[in-house]
Amino acid sequence: MAYTELTVWTRGIIMDKEGRDIVNSISASARIEGKYAQAMENYVDNPDRTNCPTRKYCRVSDNVLENELTYENEHPNVVVLVEGTMVKGWDYMRGMPPGGTLVINTHYTPDYMIRFVPGPERLAQLVCVDAAKIADHKWLYYRLGELGLDRLSTEGAAERNKSIAPDIAAPLIAAVVKTTGIVKMKTIEPMIANKHAFEVALNELHIMPLNPVAV
Amino acid sequence: MPMLAEQKKRTVRINGCVASAQAAKYADVDVIAAYPIRPYTATMMALAQMVANGELDAEYIVADSEHSQLSIAHGASSSGARVFTGSSGVGVQFAYELYSPISGSRMPVQMMIADRTLDPPGDFGSEHTDALSTRDMGWIMGWSCDAQEAFDNHLIAYRIGEDPRVLLPQMVCQDGFFVSHITGDVELPDSGQVKEFLPPYKHPYPLDPRHPVSHGPQIMPEQGPPLQLERARAMEQSMAVIEEVHEEFAKIFGRKYDPWVEEFMTDDAEVVFFLQGAHAVTARFAIQHMRERGLKVGMVRLRTIRPYPTDRVKDVLSKFKVVGVIETNMGLGSVSSGGVLYAEAAAALYESQKRPLILSFMAGMGGEAIVLKEFYWMTEKMLDAQRRGKIEKRTHWVGFEE
Repeated sequence: MAYTELTVWTRGIIMDKEGRDIVNSISASARIEGKYAQAMENYVDNPDRTNCPTRKYCRVSDNVLENELTYENEHPNVVVLVEGTMVKGWDYMRGMPPGGTLVINTHYTPDYMIRFVPGPERLAQLVCVDAAKIADHKWLYYRLGELGLDRLSTEGAAERNKSIAPDIAAPLIAAVVKTTGIVKMKTIEPMIANKHAFEVALNELHIMPLNPVAV
Repeated sequence: MPMLAEQKKRTVRINGCVASAQAAKYADVDVIAAYPIRPYTATMMALAQMVANGELDAEYIVADSEHSQLSIAHGASSSGARVFTGSSGVGVQFAYELYSPISGSRMPVQMMIADRTLDPPGDFGSEHTDALSTRDMGWIMGWSCDAQEAFDNHLIAYRIGEDPRVLLPQMVCQDGFFVSHITGDVELPDSGQVKEFLPPYKHPYPLDPRHPVSHGPQIMPEQGPPLQLERARAMEQSMAVIEEVHEEFAKIFGRKYDPWVEEFMTDDAEVVFFLQGAHAVTARFAIQHMRERGLKVGMVRLRTIRPYPTDRVKDVLSKFKVVGVIETNMGLGSVSSGGVLYAEAAAALYESQKRPLILSFMAGMGGEAIVLKEFYWMTEKMLDAQRRGKIEKRTHWVGFEE
């Protein structure tokens, strides 16, 4: 893949860090591998609001990124939905070229989820991973107070937890890397805080093959 | 006063806002006056973290508005502190009353501006109008085009503004998003390099109860002109200091900037873009592609707009057949009915024996990225003017015309 765009859709504040961790770790890994890469947040979505859809972007290329100042990914090859219900309601598939990958954090199967995807014919694969379960994700219920202190719509500046992917981002990164090869597994793995969730997810991906594009 | 902890040279990947905060830390500022407005907010957040973590020993004052913020900066600077403040968009406007008093009392306050479009309607995007609207208030002012240059410009501006021959405040500007929120590799220097380059600040007449002085008293009309003349002279005299400081910066840090303009592929160029700030990054790619197609196009990027390098701009732009000014700002009803850069470029060229044709391009408005094909389109307009030998239309709104 000479040039790849990855767009992550996430929920403002409560899952903002998760979205950011995905694009940052993949972009950093690509640079370690000698590629040109950029990670950024959607400038207009920020400062985020609780639960509002917000976007994070990553671009990886074999060549210098000449579109570094373009503030949105116009043709995402890979789209990640950090929260499953985001599958409905807006066109996150917009601009995706044929042969794309959609990764959803959900306990449902791809067979069930595919009916909600707008324009599924552009997908080479639909990947479902139960990231919340794999990462034993409980903070929404048990650690809300901590979350309220830690996440203040500050583009991450006020977050106390500085580790990368301590929670549901880890299985989602595993899903993206394993199904797209956007970076090498051995490059990104050392960065991930929740190594257990990362490893488990590699074997618990539900992949629906769709329309591959001849390379 | 506790000094900044020793730091070794290292390269980090940060955005423009964080680069500005890092520069303030390396400059070991004494007082930070903050009030949030995007995109500048990211700088004040980074500074708050540095103070909270004990990396930076500074008074961090959160004001109740930008007007108070600049008033705090003014007062702190009057007492002899090295001051760092900043804002964006309408925040810059709300503090307007303070700009002239600060430069008039010759306080070298430094203000970081991450541009934001002025209302209406509310827009996060970057236009240079916010800072440019204050351009004649006696502040040294210039734009950087990436995070590294932003970092460097902060250190350079402190050194210039605090020079006893200058004593003027500085606006160190960067495009919102395009610099403020795009990450790049930034070399953070060895603290020894900064110590060598930027000596501790000492104002000659600080407010001090042991040595009472008056600052900014009411004056009689006849006392006004000499003070205004002094401020105007300080601005003029700063030009020699600006050149000196850039040379010294290159010697100590190894990065050499022309203080006034960056020329890119201008050697045999016939048509050039004339612009400020981050869009130069995309312009360089566009120019390289057009050069491959044999088009003699180049770029001149203005790095310092106050003081305006009139003679330099005249000499540089006189070499070309057509100059396309990319505005990224609003000059409603101005001489070109476009932006404000056109008027000064044209005025600088007035005394030239060889005047190029000048076009004004309204591009990147509202914070839109200027993409490669728009640079190609603008080049076509310049080449067309060159073929005809005259300007058919002075100002083009890019994206709104065929």
